[in-house]
Formats: sequence, structure tokens, C-alpha cells
Amino acid sequence: MTLLIGALTIGFILSLLALGVLISFRIYSFSDITAEGSITLGAAVAATLLTKGTNPLLATGIAVFAGMLAGACTGILHTRFKINGLLSGILVMTALYSINLHIMGRSNVPLLSATTLMTWAEGAGNGLFGGAENINVAGWEVSARELSVLGFSFLAAALVGIILYIFFRTDLGTAMRATGDNPQMVRAMGISDGNMIVFGLAVSNGLVALSGALLAQYQGFSDVQMGIGMLVWGLASVIIGEALVGLKQLNLLITGALMGSVLFRLLVAIALRWGMDPNDLKLITAVFVFLALIVPGLIAKAGWKKVGVRNA
Amino acid sequence: MLELTGVRKTFNAGTPNEVRSLQGIDLKLDEGSFVIVIGTNGSGKSTLLNAVAGTFFVDEGSIRLAGHDTTRWPEHKRAQLIGRVFQNPFSGTAPELSIAENLVLSARRGQSRTLGWALNASLREQVFETVKSLGMGLENRLDNAIGSLSGGQRQALTLLMSTWLKPKLLLLDEHTAALDPKSADQIIQLSDQVIARDKLTTLMVTHSMHQAVNLGDRLIMMHRGQIICDFRGAEKRRLRVDDLLNRFEEVRRGDLLDETAAEMLQRTYV
Repeated sequence: MTLLIGALTIGFILSLLALGVLISFRIYSFSDITAEGSITLGAAVAATLLTKGTNPLLATGIAVFAGMLAGACTGILHTRFKINGLLSGILVMTALYSINLHIMGRSNVPLLSATTLMTWAEGAGNGLFGGAENINVAGWEVSARELSVLGFSFLAAALVGIILYIFFRTDLGTAMRATGDNPQMVRAMGISDGNMIVFGLAVSNGLVALSGALLAQYQGFSDVQMGIGMLVWGLASVIIGEALVGLKQLNLLITGALMGSVLFRLLVAIALRWGMDPNDLKLITAVFVFLALIVPGLIAKAGWKKVGVRNA
Repeated sequence: MLELTGVRKTFNAGTPNEVRSLQGIDLKLDEGSFVIVIGTNGSGKSTLLNAVAGTFFVDEGSIRLAGHDTTRWPEHKRAQLIGRVFQNPFSGTAPELSIAENLVLSARRGQSRTLGWALNASLREQVFETVKSLGMGLENRLDNAIGSLSGGQRQALTLLMSTWLKPKLLLLDEHTAALDPKSADQIIQLSDQVIARDKLTTLMVTHSMHQAVNLGDRLIMMHRGQIICDFRGAEKRRLRVDDLLNRFEEVRRGDLLDETAAEMLQRTYV
């Protein structure tokens, strides 16, 4: 049960990463590898501030802002200096590795005694459950602390999802979506597509950094290596989410990314439980995303062939 | 309204692929005039429209529009003054956004985008009425993605979008060339209606000689990056398709003569 709750909690926290990837990958068709640096950046900024006793909400907010700056850098490299999108992301990601080390001062910052958002969540849960140590959920004894942290991460993911949905229905959000869809039309409507890309990548990486900040507070440390493979992880969540919801509607895509992240984390937890070597995790994730990217095309091709045979 | 002075543009300058697309264009459009642009392939018609729209900056010369010197304005800034319909029906709309969302984008053409709700009730009502005026039944499909519509329907919506906020200048770049004849007729009628109703200053490129003689109050013919003919007023009204074809034939013969003359010179002197 602890395993399940842990998987769900991390699933919800990483769903913020998935929402960031949804913006860059699905809305802009931009494979923004900055995410691997900005998730660590979010964790590094939040952890470093928290060890200095900063208010957890403020520390998390500053982490988000740092992530937005990183995303804006990638956007500016791409739009103002006309550097290939993937390369822009690689440059910023590489630079962030050093920056993250500077922020943390070493490669790993533990949060043993610091007050974090998770400490607050445990406190709130303590009040809610009347101070009980364990709660009975459908016959299982569950730690009240873990349950409150799960509840908090769910609320955080749901809240961000709803805010994002509302944002996409505003003038600015609509312009952003149109930019990914048809930049020429967007310019003809008086919108600078370059500015929209910079802004969109800033929002995307802000979400990724938020995910990193929460992850650091949940697992109790920030590590300079924690971003490796995270973009592919986010992609896997987005792709599973699309398979789950089917339609390409905005509210469904957002819900899908949330569900995809949780489901993917659950699958991983189960596979690890069954004895999968943790070292193979990233290999399997990469193969999974590869298959998810090519299978729809293969199915369509097979369909065409059938039609061809029938016509002949 | 629109004034081009000595506009020149060369693509791939200094390479074997050098193309001198615009070679000293001087053109002045009066307010409310509807100007047709025709010309041979590669004559610079579309380049002329793109230069005005700001797709690229010109090498020389100046462009003034509605009292502003727009020569160095980026494309999206010029969109405050300009409405555009493209040759490709897919260029003017965002396919994954709904019909209503596309129109809402155009209702704020050239204004800054804020966190205001995009599709409020009153705007939705206006969108409904505007789309209904097309008579295509699209007003009942406002929430469908625009990508599910036909080229003709999308082009009709693009025309609505480019003229929702009355532009100082409307640019139509062979906007019926990619449509089937029936849709093309519909779009031409719609364009003519909108232009007449709002008295829009318009620059329209076309390949169709029929459109060229039947529409507009002025016609310019381009060849090799220059304006070679300019018909206005009574002269424009008297123009027939045959007159235009004869002109094209003359131009073609002129070209042939140039080439044979060059060849002869080469043979004699090289």
C-alpha cells in the first residue's frame, strides 16, 4: 500500500512536468530538452532556499520563476538568434548543469530538518485526521502522513491543470495555441509568433521547475543528476494520456497528461516490484516512447494496404 | 493610402540563384481603390504583396501605409493595418482551433493579447451572426475544429477574419487559385461584396483574366519585377480578356526578341 501511495504521489508531482511537456511538445511541436535542466533547477532553487529557512511557498515560487527564465532563454536563442530548437534546448540544459551546481554549492542538498510544503501538508492532514497515526482505507492501514502528502500533490496537480485550462481559453492562451498551429496566420493577426514561443517555453519550463521543486520537497533532497531522462518521461506521460482520452480536445489533453503521468508511474512501480532492474528503467521508457511514436503511423499504413487490396 | 517608392528586392543576392524580384516599383493607391495585379509567372506579383505585408524587408525604397512609414515594421506590426488572404486556404486559419476561436483571434487583430476571456457571450453572438452571413451553415458548427472544413469554407472564413476589423489595406494573393471553380466563384462574390460594402482599399493578385477584367477599378500588369502597364478608370472598364491576352503576347514576343538579339550579339562578338 505504501508503494501504491508513493507511486501515486510521485505520479501527481511529475504530472506537472507532463503539463510542461504538453505545452512545448504538443502545442508548439518543439522538443524542448531544457526540461531536463529546469526540473533540476526548480529542485535546486527550492532546496537551497528551504535549507536557509525561506517560506516554502516563496521558495517554490522563486523556483518556478527560475524555470520560466530558463525557458525564456531557450526561446530567445531559438527565435532571436535563429538557432535550431533542439540545439537551443541542449545549450541551455548544458549551461543549467553548472548553474545548478553553483546554486546548490555541491551535487546534493538534503532537506532533513527544513520546513517544506510537504511538512505543511502533513500538518494540515494531522488536523484533518484528528492526529491519528494510521488511517483505515478500504481495509488497509495507511500512514496518515503519506495520505496527506498524496492529497496535497493531487490538489496541486488538479489546481495547476484547471488554471492551465482557463489560461488556454483567454486571449493570450488562444494566441499561444494558434502560434503552434499556424505561425503565418498568427503573424497576419498581429501577434508576434517569436514572442509567443518565448512566452510559451517560459510557462512550460515554469511548470517543469514547479514539478522539480515539489519533487525535491517530497523525496527530501535535490540532486544535480535528477533531471536526466525527464523529457522522455514527460513525453511518455503525454502519449499515454492521449491514448487514454483519445480526442484532441484541450480539457481532455490536460486531464490525459495528468492521468498518463500517474498511470505511467504506477506501471513503473509494478514493474520494479516484479523485479525489473532499475538500471533498465530509462531504456524501457525510451523504447516505449519510440513505439508510441511510430505505432500510430504503422497502423495507418496497414489500413491503407487493406484498402488497396480491396480496390485491386 | 499605400505608397511604394523605388522598391527593390533581390533574393539570394550574389549567388547563382540570384532572383531580382522587384526592380524599382513605384505605386500609389488611392483610398478605397480596388487594384488588380496580373503578370507572368515569376513577375513579382506575390513578392510585391509580401513586401507590403512585411514577410521580408525590402532592399531599397520605402513603403508608406495610412500615414505611417512601415518600411522597417515587422510583419505582425503591419497586421494592425493590413488584412490578408493567402493563396493556400490552409494558411489563413489555425486548424486545431475551433471556428469561433479563429474568429476571436481576428477580432483582436493588431491588439495586445491579455488574460481576458477569449470567447465571451457578446463576442460569441457576433461570431454567430457574422458566420451566418456567409450562408454556408457554419454558424451551427462554431465549436468544430476548423481543420475539418473544406478549402472553400476555410477561405471564406479567412476572408471574414481579415476584414472583421476594417483593415486600411486588404491583400488578396491569388486567394481562389487553389479552389474548385464553384467555391472560387463564391469566394470572389463574397470578396467583391465585402470590399464594396466597407470601401476597402484592396490589392488583389490573380491568374484569372476574367477576374482581372470584371473586378476592381484599376489594373496593373507586372513583368520581370516591374510594372509595365497601368489601366485606370474608363480605360480599365473597357478592358476585355482579349486585350490582356494580346498584352501578354506582346510581352512574350518582346522577351523572345531580347533573347535572340542577345544570342546574335554573342555569336558576332564572342
